[in-house]
Amino acid sequence: MPYLNTLQDTKLSKLHHLDIAYIAVLLPLLLIIKAPMLLFMGVVLALLVLRKESTPLLMTLMTALGIFAIFLSSYGSFNFAGLSRLKLFLELLIYILIFAVSLQRLTREINFYLLLSPLLILALSLFFFHSVVMLGYVIVEIFVLLWVILSFRMQGSFQETFKMAGSMFAFSLPWVIVLFIFFPRISFEHASYGFKGEGERRMGHDGTMFLDNNALLVPSNKIVMEIGFQEKMPPSNQLYFRGSILYLDKKDHWAPMPMFVQRSYAQGYTSIEESITYKVTLYPTLKRWLYMIDSPQKAPKVDNHKISIDVDFISKTQKDIDETLHYQATSALKYTMNTNIDETTLNVALDTDITSNPKSWEIAKNIKAQIKDPKKRADAIIKVFKQNDLTYTLKPKALDLNNSTDSFLFDKKLGYCVHFASAFVNMARMSGIPARVVTGYKANPSNGIQNYLVIKEKDAHAWAELLIDNRWTRYETTAWASSMDSQAQELLDQQSNTQTSQLNLYMMYVKYQIETWILHYSHFRQLQLLDKARKDPLFIAQLVGTLLVILLLSFMLWRYFRQPLCHDKLICLMQPLLEKLQKEGYKRADRETMHQFLIRCSQEYNKNTKEIDKLYEVIRYGGDNSEETFESLKKLLKAFK
Amino acid sequence: MKNTDETLDLEFTPIVDAIESHLIGKRHAITLTLASYFAGGHVLLEDIPGVGKTTLAKQFCSVLGLDFGRIQFTSDMLPSDILGVSYYSQKEGGFILKKGPIFTQFLLADEINRAMPKTQSALLEAMEESNITIDGSSRPLPEPFFVIGTQNPHEEVGTFPLPHSQLDRFICSFGIGYPDKASERSILQGVTSKPLKKEKLLSHEKIIELRQRAKDIQLSDAMLDYIQEVIAFTREGGRFEYGLSTRGALALTAMVKSWAMLQGRTYAIADDLQAITGVVCAHRLKFTEGRTTALRIENEIFTQINSDT
Repeated sequence: MPYLNTLQDTKLSKLHHLDIAYIAVLLPLLLIIKAPMLLFMGVVLALLVLRKESTPLLMTLMTALGIFAIFLSSYGSFNFAGLSRLKLFLELLIYILIFAVSLQRLTREINFYLLLSPLLILALSLFFFHSVVMLGYVIVEIFVLLWVILSFRMQGSFQETFKMAGSMFAFSLPWVIVLFIFFPRISFEHASYGFKGEGERRMGHDGTMFLDNNALLVPSNKIVMEIGFQEKMPPSNQLYFRGSILYLDKKDHWAPMPMFVQRSYAQGYTSIEESITYKVTLYPTLKRWLYMIDSPQKAPKVDNHKISIDVDFISKTQKDIDETLHYQATSALKYTMNTNIDETTLNVALDTDITSNPKSWEIAKNIKAQIKDPKKRADAIIKVFKQNDLTYTLKPKALDLNNSTDSFLFDKKLGYCVHFASAFVNMARMSGIPARVVTGYKANPSNGIQNYLVIKEKDAHAWAELLIDNRWTRYETTAWASSMDSQAQELLDQQSNTQTSQLNLYMMYVKYQIETWILHYSHFRQLQLLDKARKDPLFIAQLVGTLLVILLLSFMLWRYFRQPLCHDKLICLMQPLLEKLQKEGYKRADRETMHQFLIRCSQEYNKNTKEIDKLYEVIRYGGDNSEETFESLKKLLKAFK
Repeated sequence: MKNTDETLDLEFTPIVDAIESHLIGKRHAITLTLASYFAGGHVLLEDIPGVGKTTLAKQFCSVLGLDFGRIQFTSDMLPSDILGVSYYSQKEGGFILKKGPIFTQFLLADEINRAMPKTQSALLEAMEESNITIDGSSRPLPEPFFVIGTQNPHEEVGTFPLPHSQLDRFICSFGIGYPDKASERSILQGVTSKPLKKEKLLSHEKIIELRQRAKDIQLSDAMLDYIQEVIAFTREGGRFEYGLSTRGALALTAMVKSWAMLQGRTYAIADDLQAITGVVCAHRLKFTEGRTTALRIENEIFTQINSDT
């Protein structure tokens, strides 16, 4: 009843329509707008709520306040060099836009940029948010804007236009999906429009390994990268992501081979029996490493980045990673290799300071003398580790860094991965096996679902590699701890068991799926999809089935929204009858009342509608609301043919 | 005009038939007059002379058994010519009221727009108040008091058009119009030339009872919604210069009820509103563009506002 509604003055003015649009688009921006600008917006809002008249004095005051707020908000980052950073530039743009719009809104007059700005702000906010939540919110925003525009242009009731916007949305849904699948966007994954991205400094793996007390482990849940395996996730003992290889024992820390050391490239796969392909989403680390599962086959390709791979299969970019990288990698799980280690590397891998660790040296010397086979020597060292009753802890006591191996093995006996790895490599070297420390990430399989895996800061790890039979073999050194202190135990339990973390993981998984298949849907994904469809007929059936279901759903939605609003129980009851009659070609004319129509039907078309009319009239106008009358009307309607 | 009075209740058919015997083919106008009478309002007939305005009034009067009074308005008429005067009687030794023609149950006020505004308003005030004041003393008019005013819309020289506020006092206004071909033929054949019958079909008590019954007709919420929508449309639809006043709205409801009674129902339905909205609003509303007629008002309103939705 549109005209009855006008009685209660529910029609919104044009300015109110605009206000709704602005509220919708500004809501997410509140998260990035700086405090002075927020304050300015608050003042504007207060003025609007208090319905203050816009006097010249007030406008001047607000202009000054606005400029001051913009200045304060961008103070510090405002210089010409700073302008080259995309987000700062956009932020400034948004401030100016908000400033202009606020002043215009205060005058209560509508002009073109007041009308246009909601769309502009919506577009600008897309630069700041790339999350799945924003994807959902953008859909809401578009709906709200559509609704507001319809209501604004048609001056209809809000309810009616809501229905119309809903029906338009439902109608467009299948088209959007079909167009989306068949016409992928040009991938903007790596586009930065000539601006520098922003980054966040992260902890975790950083290329060296400190043994001193500063190296306290802070278990962080920050996500380093997400992995999507093309097929099944490999078993837990294969999930070592190589970061860097450390050769030099600098007493308080381990360092990689210096850049100036000339090493001949002699390593190469001779055969690969089992390999794995996966997609990595690496979040900004401000470091240069690209992490891959042991052992990477080749350097991944990333647009705008030059990526090299060295003798030790470490991949690095030329510049710090300050934006999210997406790359596909392939690693060999079972392979043979021709390993002709050059002299330099071999010497460094055997270099150890025997004088500072006399106790270890004593043991290693014996092992070296008694056992010839390097593998058995390593086993003997492991035995020593196990006998010494070492405890895995996240808060070890400070070691004597001048003889860290002795100090760890025979004195403090407390440590975490770096201490274990460092001591083991030193012992191996003393007993004549070339050895090195590897740092990187060891994924926790409980952070994965199916073929999806999350790697967090706290998964940073260090282990050892020994050259046995001319091949680098991985040793998980922390496995030999005979006990674990309560804190470390707690941490382990915590990360795998609580329901919230499990739920969180599922959310991440959904987010990842949406990101891979919707946000980053590209030509490549399309080909992948088509490829899958070609191989698997069942998949085609599933795809077509899903499309049909979506089509059906949107059709139903559309139907639902198209149906006139049913305010009245009785009218709703009559609706099927009217539809039936309409199907047979008897349509209620424009001005016809229900009574006239039903009488006409009974007189002209010999329909038995007279009885129905009588009951309808009694209920609607005669004030007979009894159940029996309703029931008998229902019966009549049911019996109607 | 639409022939919607087919469904007239048997109780009222003889009355309408009796009037129609001298006003052939004008059943709708007769029913409207009857409805206005039971609704307690007054009727304004707007038509050219010679289509049966006076005949309708006279026959109506005789069938209902009312005292008949008639005033032919002229431009030199004074209020006292209608209301009466009080004069000093030496015989009585005091003032005596000489009642004017208005003291009757039924008044035919012919060509009301010929009189001066002063005279017009004397009549219209009497219509509204149902009593008149002469020399400070108030005198009630006979109950029920009913006026049929007529005016010729086409003659403008020497007339004083009734102002909007005065027109509002008539519950409805309509024309009688030319008879259709068949009716006109029987008129020409002399069917109506016999003298008016003086048969009284309704007693005074019956009239009072019917008026009360019309007031008691039920208006459901759905019906009130519909009426209010129509009222809101006249006010806010943007098609009229001004909307229906509250008195107009009351007139609309009273007419709806009365019409429903004539159809033999105890409650009003959407059809009743559609049947009478045009005649109730014709003299109350003015289109911003174009001529205002009852038919056009009905068309405009009811193509926009559907019933039973």
